[in-house]
Amino acid sequence: MLHLLQIDLKKLTSYRTFWIVCGLYFLTIGFSTASGMEFLKWLANTFDRFGSSLNIDRIPLYHFPDVWLNLVWWSGFFKVLLGIMTVISITNEYTYRTIRQNVIDGLSRWEFLFSKILTNLLLSLVSVVLIFFIAMVTGFIYTPDINWNYVFTDIEFYPAYFLEIFTFLSYALMLGILVQRSGLTIILLLLSYMLEAIVKANIDDYVPGLIPFFPMESITALVPIPFYRYAFQEIQDYVDPAAVAIALGWAVLFNYFSFLKLKRSDL
Amino acid sequence: METVLSITGLTKNFGRLCAVNNLNLEVKAGQVFGMLGPNGSGKTTTLGMLMGVINPSSGDYSWFGQSPNHQVRKKIGAVLEHPIFYPYLTGQKNLELNAMVKECPTENIPRVLELVELYDRRDDKYKTYSLGMKQRLAIASALLNEPTVLILDEPTNGLDPMGIAEIRELIKKIAANGKTIILASHLLDEVQKVCTHFAVLKKGNMVHSGPVNEVGRGAETVEVNADIANLNEILLKFSGTSSVNRENGCFQVTLRDEFHGQDLNKFLFDQGIVANHLVTKKKTLEKMFLEILSDTN
Repeated sequence: MLHLLQIDLKKLTSYRTFWIVCGLYFLTIGFSTASGMEFLKWLANTFDRFGSSLNIDRIPLYHFPDVWLNLVWWSGFFKVLLGIMTVISITNEYTYRTIRQNVIDGLSRWEFLFSKILTNLLLSLVSVVLIFFIAMVTGFIYTPDINWNYVFTDIEFYPAYFLEIFTFLSYALMLGILVQRSGLTIILLLLSYMLEAIVKANIDDYVPGLIPFFPMESITALVPIPFYRYAFQEIQDYVDPAAVAIALGWAVLFNYFSFLKLKRSDL
Repeated sequence: METVLSITGLTKNFGRLCAVNNLNLEVKAGQVFGMLGPNGSGKTTTLGMLMGVINPSSGDYSWFGQSPNHQVRKKIGAVLEHPIFYPYLTGQKNLELNAMVKECPTENIPRVLELVELYDRRDDKYKTYSLGMKQRLAIASALLNEPTVLILDEPTNGLDPMGIAEIRELIKKIAANGKTIILASHLLDEVQKVCTHFAVLKKGNMVHSGPVNEVGRGAETVEVNADIANLNEILLKFSGTSSVNRENGCFQVTLRDEFHGQDLNKFLFDQGIVANHLVTKKKTLEKMFLEILSDTN
């Protein structure tokens, strides 16, 4: 298994685009999640009335346990960058026809796919670990009086965040295998949320019960919007098990569809 | 002799097009097997099926007596159609990656790079290579795992005459080590020079297979000339003559079976004629190939 991951990483680590896209992604999620308080301070300094009407130190953006959910929700927006990287990685194999040579050289089709899935798992894991550390550090910096009972509350959002990214990357991988052209695949990937929103809007009046089962919806539902709690005092401070089950189902299905397509096609 | 590859009833349809039709073939250890056929006759499709990248519509094949699987492919070195590598990786890194896929040691890399004379360019990116260098890198990668079977599909495509000669020598050298080689080509001269056995494909059907040294058998043609006016008539008197043609200032005598050039020579001598030019022409593979293809029309 490690062997397959090494093969895929060998392909990627000498590829400049990989470092650019992943660098952009990790820098963006790293800096944007770490600098929320600085941003609020900047707002307060720039606009006079912002500071007086709202005491920014009282916004618990980085207070334990809120910080966990706040940061994963925010960094979840940037997963599309990683998705683009996955698409480039798989469609390159088709453009260069190296998938064909890999199979000729002795990888089974499943092993080839699995090496890509393992990279997806690794990228998801790195995202989770990075955000976890940033949340931990910023939490200790900004929480006024640390109550150890609350420090690790709500940490279950991290496995959910992991699943969110991995399911999305599995979707990107499947799209790449089905379409095989990088440009078209990236456009489809970017449009997925919008296309799904259109379908959802149209069936909302007839079968609203179906909506949680849509793939993008299920990915989004894993990590709920945290800010309602500041506006309405109503919080979902747990991961919905139904959402996990649906997203997990999609992750398995996406990778299974990839496998079916790969198994049946002539390379 | 051990059977390396056996194919039974292998068929591939692309929609209505039948690319390979009910192919039966056996390749034994140590053979240099040439697959001939015009463009689009199904050579590459056949090799693609044997290497697991094209799913057969029906039929079976086995390598070393085992049903096909990806572990078996690791023991085979294959270059199908064009050389395929990651353009942004150097030659060295591409081979390192191949070694990982084939699960073979990387120690062989310098040796195979030396063999194809790319060692000096190993740290340049693949996309900077010329076509000939790409071809040679592909051969290096096929030799990387010290395979017992080598599959080469048009290995001299796009090479200059020197490169072609080099690759031909390389193939002979590899064959001399007892390796089995399957060579697809439409350069008949090349096949005749290096192969021991051959098969001819036409529109997906195998129309001929047999050893290369049988090609020369059958009716002989003898090219004769002598400083005598009525040579034509004398040649027609010879009991072994089946036909006489005048070509390039010489007479091409096609002999009946069982008659050879020496018989004609003796006959002329007995008639008091000394030929100043007498050449027994073996049938070339090219001629035979064209005959086979036109026979099956």
